[in-house]
Amino acid sequence: MYKLLSRGEILSIHTAAMEVLEKVGIVIQHDKALNKLAKAGASVDKKTKVVRIPEYLLNDALQKSPRRHKLIARNQKYNIVIGNGESYFTNAFGAHYTIDLKTGERRLSTIKDLEEFTLLADYFPTVDYIKPNILPQDVPKTIWEQEMALAMFKSSEKHLSLVALTPEGWRDVIEMAKIYAGGEDEFAKNPSIIDTGFNNVPPLKYTREIIDMILECARYRIPFDISTGLLSSASGPVTLAGTIVQGIAENHAIVVLTQLMGPGTPIMWGSCATIMDQRFGTAAYGSPENGLIHAAFCQMAHYYGLPYYGAAGVIDSKVPDQQAAYENTMNALLATISGADVVHDGVYGIVEAGVTASYDMFAISNDICGAIKRVAKGIKVTPETLAVDLIATVGHEKNHLNTPDALRFTKKHLLEEQWHPLISNRTSRPEWEKRGAKTIAEVAKEKVKEILSTHKIEPLDKKMESEMRKLIKERAKKVKSS
Amino acid sequence: MTSSILEELKAAVMEGDSEKSVEFAKKALEENIPPLEAITNGLAKGVKAVGDLFSQGEVFLVELVMAGDAMKAGMSVLLPVIKESKMEMKSEGKVIIGTVEGDIHSIGKDIVGTLLEAEGFEVFNIGEDVSSETFVDKVKEYKPDVLGLSSLLTATMPAQKAVIEKLKAAGLRGNVKVIIGGAPTTQEWSDEIEADGWAGDAVTAVSLVKKLVKN
Repeated sequence: MYKLLSRGEILSIHTAAMEVLEKVGIVIQHDKALNKLAKAGASVDKKTKVVRIPEYLLNDALQKSPRRHKLIARNQKYNIVIGNGESYFTNAFGAHYTIDLKTGERRLSTIKDLEEFTLLADYFPTVDYIKPNILPQDVPKTIWEQEMALAMFKSSEKHLSLVALTPEGWRDVIEMAKIYAGGEDEFAKNPSIIDTGFNNVPPLKYTREIIDMILECARYRIPFDISTGLLSSASGPVTLAGTIVQGIAENHAIVVLTQLMGPGTPIMWGSCATIMDQRFGTAAYGSPENGLIHAAFCQMAHYYGLPYYGAAGVIDSKVPDQQAAYENTMNALLATISGADVVHDGVYGIVEAGVTASYDMFAISNDICGAIKRVAKGIKVTPETLAVDLIATVGHEKNHLNTPDALRFTKKHLLEEQWHPLISNRTSRPEWEKRGAKTIAEVAKEKVKEILSTHKIEPLDKKMESEMRKLIKERAKKVKSS
Repeated sequence: MTSSILEELKAAVMEGDSEKSVEFAKKALEENIPPLEAITNGLAKGVKAVGDLFSQGEVFLVELVMAGDAMKAGMSVLLPVIKESKMEMKSEGKVIIGTVEGDIHSIGKDIVGTLLEAEGFEVFNIGEDVSSETFVDKVKEYKPDVLGLSSLLTATMPAQKAVIEKLKAAGLRGNVKVIIGGAPTTQEWSDEIEADGWAGDAVTAVSLVKKLVKN
């Protein structure tokens, strides 16, 4: 495991973050939330909407914020416990454009792309729960979140993280989740059948809409991730230490508010922060600084007893090329070996930092993240795996391919010892040539087409689907008449 | 003497040195250099040079912003004199930029504003969470060539459309070119709401404004 910060550095960062939270404060443009914080002991400036939060309020909140929590899937075998020591991976979030699988043309994303990326995420073993890979552009914005939720409910049996963009849309999605859970009571018992995520507006601000949606989560105890979205040298300090300090203060304001409103609501405490490239004014996610930010944030999250959620693995390259592969590998690996509980954006089926979805890249990143997960699993050391007896049996003259004991031993341990990539090439050169001397991008495309035409999931219950459809129709009608 | 003061003004801006910019602006007035010339052949040259270097990826954004600040510092000395003498400032054009209602993101918009200023445009950055009504009022007040609407949230994109509708209703749509930008926006969205253009980054936004002002 990689530990970037020393104990002393962790305490210095904590002290600095508390000073920002207590003295500088956070803007929360939401009067009900401000009143609640004021009543609990925070100091609120009603005019500027700045809330200054004392450390004891945070300590109370951290007591109530779960160290680990379950994310429930439609198929129970995909249930996971966030915070149990494993790194769980999600796919990428939110592409407006997609590189068309057939034509290779970059075009606007569609709802069909969302269904297909969700189905691929269902298939890829590296994806532990699923984010909306696509923000479809062929659906009216008034029923956007609802249509996206339905497309995802239909396309996977894994746990789904749904998008919350507007308070009204998010409330509809919660109603759909109640249908998905099997009714109001079932949902009340298992609100973690869905989750969602939020960013702030750096520096140090939250809008009314975001707070509205967070309060809705707190009301039902729906898990969510809260991630600072700051850009170092633009909306936060150029220094990475200062970046961490500001991000902690931003995230903690939401931990305090949420645990006051809905004690026990599971929070994945995270970071989408990175540096701004001062040459172009662009966010640089595939940078080594991004990996360092995750390593430091992860240690701070664990210091606070919270699961860490890091958007690590984002690709800046515009196409699935060499740059894309190294960017994805470097930061997803750094986050994982730092102990991130969720490596969001790990299995990254997008290029151009969140803008353009790439089917090819998704399959390539599945291999990259498979390899990273193998690294995270480490080496198992037991009397059996040390294999002294076997080494003696094989001795100097035989080998592990011509000794029955060794063959049995290899067969027994092979799958837990060796990871096998889905599309990366490891054949001999003649074999590679015989198979068409293809690049990984070509193989990726073929594999994706094959998965899309063969992978089947248990269909969403027809009655559930029609109830959800009805809800969406009613919303569309209401919007039209208003 | 004149040429060396103009050179110093240009250098002050390029170095992002506001104090030096003020110092040499005062010197220019003492030496009876026409204030317009001090701007055109001094301050503006410096900021243009830095702007060009930034477009080529040769200087950092922080240097561009500091150059802009140094230019404004020098201008603050020269402008009152220009106003007194009723001379006219020459500008590439007037641009209003703001982030639409419900959205408080500022950084992308501010970078566009800085780059436009570097290119010699007169920029009115009217801030964030700006209502459609305020945009219309400001268009009436400043009579800009171009209006730039920023939206960083999918949920606030419809506000870009609302501003355009309000401009139409007020009979002002023909007087001003409207451009949009922000992470969730696209060329297709620009077409749909009948904006005059969309840009995906600050450098492209400046080329777009130049093109629109020329036409």
